[in-house]
Amino acid sequence: MGKIVVPFGSQHVALPEPISFLFDTENEIITKVEAHIGYVHRGIEKAAITRFEYNQLPYLTARVCGLCSITHAGAVVHGIEKLMDIEVNKRIDYLRMLVVELDRIHSHMLANGHVAEVVGYENLFMQTFRAREDVMDVLERITGNRVQYDYQTIGGVARDIDLETAEFAKKKLKKLKENVLKVMEFHDSDYTFGLKTKGVGVISKEMAAKYNTAGPIARASGLETDVRAEFDYLPFEEVGYKMQTRKEGDVWARNMVRFDEVLNSIEMCENILDNLPQGEHQVKVKGRPKGETVVRVEAPRGECFYYLKASGKKVMDRVRIRVPTYANIPILKELFLGAKYSDAQAIVLSFDPCMSCTAR
Amino acid sequence: MGFFSKFRKKSPWILHYNTGGCNGCDIEILSALAPRYDIERFGMLNRGNPKQADILLVTGPVTKNCKDVLRRLYLEMAEPKVVVAMGACAHGGGIFRDFYHVENGVNNIIPVDVWIPGCAPRVEALIDGMVEAIEIWQQKSKEKEYLRDHENIIKTLGVEDDD
Repeated sequence: MGKIVVPFGSQHVALPEPISFLFDTENEIITKVEAHIGYVHRGIEKAAITRFEYNQLPYLTARVCGLCSITHAGAVVHGIEKLMDIEVNKRIDYLRMLVVELDRIHSHMLANGHVAEVVGYENLFMQTFRAREDVMDVLERITGNRVQYDYQTIGGVARDIDLETAEFAKKKLKKLKENVLKVMEFHDSDYTFGLKTKGVGVISKEMAAKYNTAGPIARASGLETDVRAEFDYLPFEEVGYKMQTRKEGDVWARNMVRFDEVLNSIEMCENILDNLPQGEHQVKVKGRPKGETVVRVEAPRGECFYYLKASGKKVMDRVRIRVPTYANIPILKELFLGAKYSDAQAIVLSFDPCMSCTAR
Repeated sequence: MGFFSKFRKKSPWILHYNTGGCNGCDIEILSALAPRYDIERFGMLNRGNPKQADILLVTGPVTKNCKDVLRRLYLEMAEPKVVVAMGACAHGGGIFRDFYHVENGVNNIIPVDVWIPGCAPRVEALIDGMVEAIEIWQQKSKEKEYLRDHENIIKTLGVEDDD
């Protein structure tokens, strides 16, 4: 049987993201992969040090990625606050944590729904998205927008939360939890869904460590890595953060890890809403950033790394962004070799690909 | 109006392409397909095939890499077709204006019929824009406007010597 080259993306029927793969296939088994990921490169790092002032940076880096906008903005805000020696109060920390976790919930639900769709379960996709609308409502009520929040500003958050909103959020989160458990139960018990996802695209623990994977992909293989536990930027431990891991390392395990994290995040959000400290939602800011620092934050897809350098001017000297999706591309290429072409779609989407941050 | 146009207006198919935006608009499009907003009640389906699509839904500021893909998608679609530009960065670049790898908006590459403003636009705004797009699409199929300006469009797209 001869070699057949199959293109997959960009603008392929099956792949909505602007990434393209060239598969060499023999008898439907993939033997060689070529990936092109630069379709959406915009040059944000360059613009961050030429066109934007330091206090505009959170709004720019939020546009690196729409799904994890709050973590990108949060990383820059945290870094600049470190450079300017600003201490924020407990209430600001808690409000930031609340929105970060809500964002994680909606991103994970979206990823899981997407995987369900490509393995042929359109109804499951619809159910997951119906459940997701609850958390979008909460986010809209708290921040004022559904996707791009622009919630974190240097020295505080954009708006405070009132008692009514907190009650609303608690009610919605309770409903969300029931729905998530229902969808999770289906993932756990359905035989046909298991055939499509269990044992597909398996990453062993050694492989995950060797290729330096990040986020839920690493945790689904049993590798214990989570920046929320490793780097001290927000007090996650106080509100009941627990690391979620699975051992299987296949498409199914990645989905289940995300669901576990959603449940953990819901618990954390409820704890935050119950024990919200008193205080102002903004503190006074003076001076300009000076010096250099690194920030690590946990985006929904894994570790997001920022290096910031400033010398007391309005414009920063260097803003370096390392995103988790880019770190996960090498192992993705490795996984394709020897896999069936029909599984390629499920493997790509189980990695929760987000080309906007990959190429920036 | 021809025989098929009468039925086609009840089911305009969408072709969605992200040309370098932040994915915020794209997840709103996904929400629009989901039960809460359910864009399918207008007969709209998101299909990736340009040959079968009636409405081209573009998000993002058009990066230099995506330019040719976008132009090819537009040319591959059958007439009459409507282009909808979604999000602030599709309107002349938005926050990404004049970055070194950005073409400053969809309008610089292909002609746009409907603009949906916002960063990111609400799903209601998206649905409103799509309904508007259907009206323009009906108008176009009635007037056969696309035949009139054909040469000019080919010139702006830069595909004179392209078969």
